[in-house]
Amino acid sequence: MQGPLPLVFDIHRFALDDGPGIRTTVFLKGCPLSCSWCHNPESMSVEPEIAFYPDRCIRCGSCRDICPELAITDGPPLQIDRLRCTTCGRCADICPTTALRMMGKEYPVDDLLEIILRDRHFFEASGGGVTFSGGEPTLGINYLSRLLAALKAEGLHTAIQTCGLFDYDRFARKILPFADLIMFDIKFIAAAEHRKYTGRDNESILKNFKLLASDAGSRLLPRIPLVPGKTATPWNLMEIASFLADLGILRCDLLPYNPAGIAKRLAAGLKLPTDLPDAPLGVEEEDDLRNLFFNALHSLSKSRLDAGKYSDDPQGGLPCRSTSIMQ
Amino acid sequence: MGTITLTDIRLADQDLNNLPLLKSLRQKSLSAKTEVCIERAHYITTFLRDMAVRDEPMEIRYARAVNHFLSNKIPLFPDDSLLAGTTTSKPFGAPVYPELTGLTIWPELDTMSTREKNPQFISREDTDVLNFDVFPYWMEKNILEATRAREGNPPCMKLFERIVFFIASKAGTISHTVPCYAIALESGLEWLIAEAARHEEELMGKGSLSQDESHQLDFYRGIQIALGGIVAYAARLSAKALELAAQETDPARRKNLAAMASVCAQVPARPARTFREAINGLWILQIAIHAESINMAISPGRLDQILFPWYQRDIADGVLTIQEAMELVGCLWLKLNDNTNLVPETGEELFGGAGTVPAVTLGGINENAEDAVNDLTYIMLRVTELLKTRDPSMNARYHPEINSDRYRDRVAEVIASTKSVPAFYNDIAAIKTLENQGIATKDARDYAIIGCVELSASGRSYDASSSIMLNLVSALELALYNGTRPITGDEQIGPATGTAASFATFEQFWVAFKTQLRWLIGEAVQLNEMMGRTHQGFLPTPLLSALFEGPMENGQDLIFGGARYNSSGATHIGFADTVDSLNAIEKGVFIDRRCTFPELLAAMKRDFEGDAALHAYLVNRAPKYGSEDPIAVKNSHNLLQFLYQTYQGYTNYRGGRYRPAYWTMTNHAGQGKLSGALPNGRKAYRIFASGITPVSQAASELAPCLNAVGGINPLHIPGGEAFNLKYSAIKDKDDLQKFSQAIESYFRTGGLHIQFNIMSYEMLIDAKAHPENYPELLVRVSGYSAYFKDLNDAMKDEIITRTAYDLKTGRSVPFPVQQTGMLPST
Repeated sequence: MQGPLPLVFDIHRFALDDGPGIRTTVFLKGCPLSCSWCHNPESMSVEPEIAFYPDRCIRCGSCRDICPELAITDGPPLQIDRLRCTTCGRCADICPTTALRMMGKEYPVDDLLEIILRDRHFFEASGGGVTFSGGEPTLGINYLSRLLAALKAEGLHTAIQTCGLFDYDRFARKILPFADLIMFDIKFIAAAEHRKYTGRDNESILKNFKLLASDAGSRLLPRIPLVPGKTATPWNLMEIASFLADLGILRCDLLPYNPAGIAKRLAAGLKLPTDLPDAPLGVEEEDDLRNLFFNALHSLSKSRLDAGKYSDDPQGGLPCRSTSIMQ
Repeated sequence: MGTITLTDIRLADQDLNNLPLLKSLRQKSLSAKTEVCIERAHYITTFLRDMAVRDEPMEIRYARAVNHFLSNKIPLFPDDSLLAGTTTSKPFGAPVYPELTGLTIWPELDTMSTREKNPQFISREDTDVLNFDVFPYWMEKNILEATRAREGNPPCMKLFERIVFFIASKAGTISHTVPCYAIALESGLEWLIAEAARHEEELMGKGSLSQDESHQLDFYRGIQIALGGIVAYAARLSAKALELAAQETDPARRKNLAAMASVCAQVPARPARTFREAINGLWILQIAIHAESINMAISPGRLDQILFPWYQRDIADGVLTIQEAMELVGCLWLKLNDNTNLVPETGEELFGGAGTVPAVTLGGINENAEDAVNDLTYIMLRVTELLKTRDPSMNARYHPEINSDRYRDRVAEVIASTKSVPAFYNDIAAIKTLENQGIATKDARDYAIIGCVELSASGRSYDASSSIMLNLVSALELALYNGTRPITGDEQIGPATGTAASFATFEQFWVAFKTQLRWLIGEAVQLNEMMGRTHQGFLPTPLLSALFEGPMENGQDLIFGGARYNSSGATHIGFADTVDSLNAIEKGVFIDRRCTFPELLAAMKRDFEGDAALHAYLVNRAPKYGSEDPIAVKNSHNLLQFLYQTYQGYTNYRGGRYRPAYWTMTNHAGQGKLSGALPNGRKAYRIFASGITPVSQAASELAPCLNAVGGINPLHIPGGEAFNLKYSAIKDKDDLQKFSQAIESYFRTGGLHIQFNIMSYEMLIDAKAHPENYPELLVRVSGYSAYFKDLNDAMKDEIITRTAYDLKTGRSVPFPVQQTGMLPST
């Protein structure tokens, strides 16, 4: 492997929300999008960062004394001059309470595999496996490819969570053969809104999704983050339903918005967007939107099925995309 | 091999509403007040003092004393139970064993009825009997004083009496074992008596006898006399039931009494013919063992296997319904709750809230390695789920390759429903561990649990599994302070192994620690051996010996090594705190160099006052047992291996090996209160972690914690372990499934034992503040179950602060901020 390795900022073991069964989820740093609501804002930059958790700080001054750049000033609250900070990590090393933590660590492939394989019994007992998330895990596509291939060789179930912005040809060669589940985020269909909230166009994302709908089949699972006032609008959800129905896809995860990103932004010294919702949707509102979305998805699919565009799925019994349509 | 014929293994249509008898008996049992029962003490003492023939051998004299008690024991029918017989003369009694530990309550006779914590009522008249009649006779003759006199008050005995190093549970003599009930139920005591008589005649036919043979002769005579007492007691029960039936006007009660009269006329003297006879016969045998030996963890064993032939036959014959079977099993469960230990106030600190811990074992595989789970397994699980009582201590065996997922899931569901029981055992690890102790594979597969968590080749192996309880932290302190301990001042107790300043490497300190530990173990073993020999001279156990495989063939009492297999158990207190302290010394002093060794001791002496940064480092950054940190893994494995090798080097007075174990009852709370601050950041006089469980709040991730504990080599813990895991909640089916799958994974990693409390911090904190709202809250302590309200405050805090994991995230739940003062490190 050439060059520096992608950085891992968290390894969540006994993870239950990132695919089937009990899983280990590896979070990689760096993302081409910059969604304002991101609940892992520490994953946006590919660079290491120092996070500070003031409620754990006992103001012992160890970090201030050891910082070679004199970037830390005593509080309260303690301040890190992020411009001076070179993220050398000495403050996090010395901090006795873990109030300062280094976000982002290199794990050679074998080291990461060793950690993942410690939980093999959990995967086997539960039908679980390994998920790569982020950030955008395909940013370090060679690294990810080697990990996935090695895990498949171990007979484990593999999954990735992607924002969908990647070079399709490389993805098809390096990731697709080794991923049992591709969780693919769809935020907006409307190009302008996508650009506004994520900072990037969605043209290649939607194109990649369509290609995967053909090439990955049932291994592709679309997911929509339900961000109040942003993605979680009836209009946007109807558009996504229509997009999926066109592709004959009936399975989709709607993810409740997680406001944890706010605290994480503060800890990492990142700017806080002013319009960030501080709570997920209310139960009723979320139910309404779910019903709206799935009703639309099913009725649109049905009408397209009735129009003779689809064949029955031989496995699942649900209408699904027929390959001929995509060609 | 068990086949399942139940249409619903959950037996969901059976509950306490259609089992009204169990419902009312359960209510009675839960509200019963403890009364001291002096019946046994009275009969045994008066017989040995006034009636025994002095020149008769002890085997015969003691057998006669037991027979005398059983022949006079009151046939009590205190309620509408379907089973005849009571352990004591009280509905809920604490029997007195004056020859063993009974004298410890002598100073408290006037206060024990009214003490605040768990009072035990004794009447004025009974107090007088103990004061003037019973206790004086035993003053010089009880096992402790007899040992002291015999051995000239040896140093190991003085060490024991300081309580803070080790406890010699041997003072209870025969206890903590799984008898063999199957043979007595199948063949009847009359057959066993005839067997003993046949052996006696064979020996008599020899003419002149060697000393050994003459001992054997006495032993066989003793068996006949002692078992005769059981037969007499059953006959009294039968006669009394008949008499009560004649007076009874309620037809249902009359019918039940008549049935009991007929049952007791048959069993246990003659073979049990029905499920009811088998269960009642077994119960009478359990009572009878307590006439001879103390009521501590005499464990009935694999009841779903032992009783299954009768169950199966009665169901096939159409004379028993599932509901009736559940009633009988439920009555047995409640009967096993009918007695408790006599506990002096100081004992409350060390054993508070414990019942007598008769362990029942379910499931697993049979001698031919086939799935042994049967209909009765599920019936017993359902009864356990419905009754939720402290005893019997319930244990479920599970073989990950042979037992079904359905069975595993059902046990998990019962744990979720009771919030605490049964405890779970991995057959693969347990059987391998017993085989490594020289137990034949067939016998190892038939293992059952003793008391808390100890493994035993049931009915064949006399394991005295609670012989020694050793405080590991005391050895650590002796190593830290050159052979002294803060609690015992400047007195040189252990060998001088060097001051902290003299250790240049962690290795050197490790050697010093091992030296202290080896010395302490030597002292504890020596005392146990002394007590064993005293015991051999004065307290034979022909009754229990007759209900065992081995003694009858060998002509040797259990206490002389007559069982097929023998061992002594030594359990350890403070394992996780000791390992974490070793980790903190290795990393903090010798690798990270955060402080020097003397600086660390100075900070500990100040209880870390003014050392916030160092203390925070020790708590947050030093490697923790329960994580996969290589230093923590190394130190935990090294300590376990060292203890294993040290103990296995000793052979006990019965020819068996010593087996180290890691269960602590409530001793980790009690001993913690007597120990200074530790290198792992635990502050002075705080609780230790329980059993083999990681320190509270030290292991924040579930999967690494299960891997770390599951990764321990079970061969090194042949005496058993208590791994206490807490989940804050099991909220839905998804949680339940993950709960069960996590157990599977832990077992596949190699874990031997695991038990649970499914309770949130908030609920337990509320239960401590408002005990009146939680009268039936049952918790798993460190081996046994207890009602939370009965525990002392330190033990309550220990249960509260145990790390609670969230099944939805696999991470620990943050401890409530306003209660952090409860944590051992704050």
